[in-house]
Amino acid sequence: MNRFLSSSCGLIVIVSVSVGAQSPSSTTTQTRASYDINFIGPPLADPVMQQAKETYVISGCAYCHGVTLTPRGEATDLRRSTLVGSDINGDRIVALLRAGIPQTAKLSPMPQFSDLSDRQLHDIAKYMHYARQESRYTQLVVLGLGKGDPAAGKVNFDQQCASCHADGLAGIGRKYDAATLRLRLLRPPALSGLPSFDVTTLHDSKVAAARERHNHLLENYAPTQVENLIAYLGTR
Amino acid sequence: MGWSAATLGLAESRTAAANQAGAVAGRRTNRSFVGGVQFGLQPFCYHDLAMTPENRSTLVHRLVQNGMGLVELHATWVEPRFDGPGISAEAAREQLRAWRLGSPVDHYRTVKKEFDEAGIDIFTYYVNINETYTDAEVDAVFAGAKLLGARGCVGSQGLDVTRRIARFPGTHGMFLGVHNHDNLSDPDAVNNEASFVKALGFSPAVRATLDTRHFTAANGDCISFLEKHHDRVSSVHLGDRRKNNGRSTPFGEGDAPLIEVLRLIRDNRWPIVVLLEFEHGTLRPAVEEVQLMFDYCKRALS
Repeated sequence: MNRFLSSSCGLIVIVSVSVGAQSPSSTTTQTRASYDINFIGPPLADPVMQQAKETYVISGCAYCHGVTLTPRGEATDLRRSTLVGSDINGDRIVALLRAGIPQTAKLSPMPQFSDLSDRQLHDIAKYMHYARQESRYTQLVVLGLGKGDPAAGKVNFDQQCASCHADGLAGIGRKYDAATLRLRLLRPPALSGLPSFDVTTLHDSKVAAARERHNHLLENYAPTQVENLIAYLGTR
Repeated sequence: MGWSAATLGLAESRTAAANQAGAVAGRRTNRSFVGGVQFGLQPFCYHDLAMTPENRSTLVHRLVQNGMGLVELHATWVEPRFDGPGISAEAAREQLRAWRLGSPVDHYRTVKKEFDEAGIDIFTYYVNINETYTDAEVDAVFAGAKLLGARGCVGSQGLDVTRRIARFPGTHGMFLGVHNHDNLSDPDAVNNEASFVKALGFSPAVRATLDTRHFTAANGDCISFLEKHHDRVSSVHLGDRRKNNGRSTPFGEGDAPLIEVLRLIRDNRWPIVVLLEFEHGTLRPAVEEVQLMFDYCKRALS
């Protein structure tokens, strides 16, 4: 069995471990492999994202960049990486993974992962985005920096939101209080739920695109942006 | 300083191992002398376990679980932490320095006792000494390591720092292990044979801690290096990686000649300690992964 396809969300799986050509033993052994929940964390509800997470872990990314993107040692903090933040569906991350970063002032250069498949590299990118979104949501959902600036919020809204929300979300400020606006801004309920196997949104490319756009915004929000947007939406 | 099993402190453990877990009272046994090779662990491998004094008892437990009788102990498992909320990095660094200079003899002896009682030999003490270390502090680090029973201090310091501190280990009857990485863009880095040779030239007390993963990733030839410089190699960090700055892999899936390295050490009876280490990704718990690696090595030597 392909190691990268070993487990989706089961805690205990049977994995056939093929000992490599260099092995002194040419036998293939059946091993009962277990899942290190302490290090990797509990399996994700979305099996597709869980597979992406496992690819991230199995490829060795987690030891330096952290399972939840809290870096260890000298590794780059991917939660604050502008390259990762500007990546769309792996268009920047995958190329970097293929090449590595051999020129560096750090003790250990980032390795290259050119032996991984395109699918595996995209899975790594996918998980990085997911983990950034989780991290940013956790940070922003409890944040209350004080009064935001509605004027600055309007500028943000016009730049980032108005192309889809042509009505300017009129009336939303009368309908919801600031705390609810915060929750809806970070995770619009209509876009929540599992992206995989969700039959209610099957073939609904508009919802899929909206989810992708909101997730991209979420992982790149600055705290002041969120406060300003909430302040602006409160005036609507 | 001559280079032999005796200077590495291995003769005793090898004898004990040869005596089948050395039933001689008062003589330290070493359970991870296997197939003619002294194994140990770089416990960086237990990736889920923060390397802190609070986790030291868990570390000892896991080492025993994995059948390890020897360890390369990172200083962070030993030294108190002075960082925390409201404490600047500079202040924490100063407090650590003061602690080291305070000769905490009893502390080191207590730590050594913990490992002794579990039958684990602290072979080396891993400290990344850098330019912020004063001479007195470097001296104190070696003194502390000696109290732990370590034969040397190991670190990933560059050539400049290695040159500066190379005079210290000899005064303690110890060695300074230089550990390589694969950064080929830094002229100060120890990353290939040439840079190792430079480092070894700073003092007879400097030894190579050959990391097979990084040496392979830097396109070095581990076998050739060992054949030429085995008398200056204190240990190898045994792990697998692909060439050309490739990723770490499970044992046997990369380009590092692990089996050849093990058999070379065994067949030549070189007193080179093999410290297992991994940085390849796995879904398995680290203890389980280390066991797979150790079993692989045992099969290679059987």
